[in-house]
Amino acid sequence: MLRRLPLPSQFDRIIITGGLVAGVALAPLLLVLLVLLAVDEITAPEFVFWLVAAIVVGGALGTVLLPNIVYAALSLVATLLGVAGVYLLLGSEFLALAQVLIYGGGVVILLLFGLMLTNATDDPVVTDGSQKPFAAMVGLLLAGVIIAAAYDATWGGSELAATSLRAFGERLFGDFMVPFIIIAVLLDIALTGAYVNARRERAPAGDDQEASS
Amino acid sequence: MIPLENFLLLSAALFAIGFYGVLARRSAILILMSVELMLAAVSINLVAFAAYLDPEGLTGMIFAIFVITIAAAEVGLALGIVLRLYRERQTANVDAADELKW
Repeated sequence: MLRRLPLPSQFDRIIITGGLVAGVALAPLLLVLLVLLAVDEITAPEFVFWLVAAIVVGGALGTVLLPNIVYAALSLVATLLGVAGVYLLLGSEFLALAQVLIYGGGVVILLLFGLMLTNATDDPVVTDGSQKPFAAMVGLLLAGVIIAAAYDATWGGSELAATSLRAFGERLFGDFMVPFIIIAVLLDIALTGAYVNARRERAPAGDDQEASS
Repeated sequence: MIPLENFLLLSAALFAIGFYGVLARRSAILILMSVELMLAAVSINLVAFAAYLDPEGLTGMIFAIFVITIAAAEVGLALGIVLRLYRERQTANVDAADELKW
């Protein structure tokens, strides 16, 4: 089990390998997109969109397919940063920043701590031989249904409107003040519950001191 | 200009990949990561709808903020449960926790 987790001395290797893989995978796409951009087949925003979409989908595939869990966590980082790029494309800088801070800085670190503390392996040989084909089938079916519905519907506006951060803040702290407060309380309760749930139980002899302190 | 359908396509692909991960992975932490993918897909959808269809209201973006907050709370809580499970069973494999499934 431990052998599958990389040592800190191997991180250089991981970073170099990951960078090479990402470069080799993205270089052909970049070339194709640059050619299309040069012949005016696509506009500059579309160029950025397809690049970011490739990063998002590639990272997501890595997250669900890689057998090594640390690699999976690192490709999750790629996906989440790509999603931040999508938010930037959609013109909401604040959400992009929040995404990078909360996911890149908080959630992924938490997940890596979870990996470290549980030494969780995802061993396909032992557990799931029979489940993967069905899972893939259901996933493809779901994607097909959603994409068909999205292309079938007629959406009202087709223009990407510029959104101002000021309007966003006024809306969030004006009309949505009460939900915002409720969310804050929920976060507080959830994290307190996580602490209470995950802490080590003391020996029965120390119970009284624990309760009184 | 990027059509709205492109964002919906990306979001559907991301959601389906996350769904596959939830069904196929056996390690509780990897399932959590796949759930994060699905939440990100939903957020992309909400923000895209807000930017294209509701530029005055921006309701979708505010919902995306709420989704991010809930995701943070969910990860903290779920990791607490996974740690607890690991301490009881010495494994984070979800197949080890099937007492409700007789």
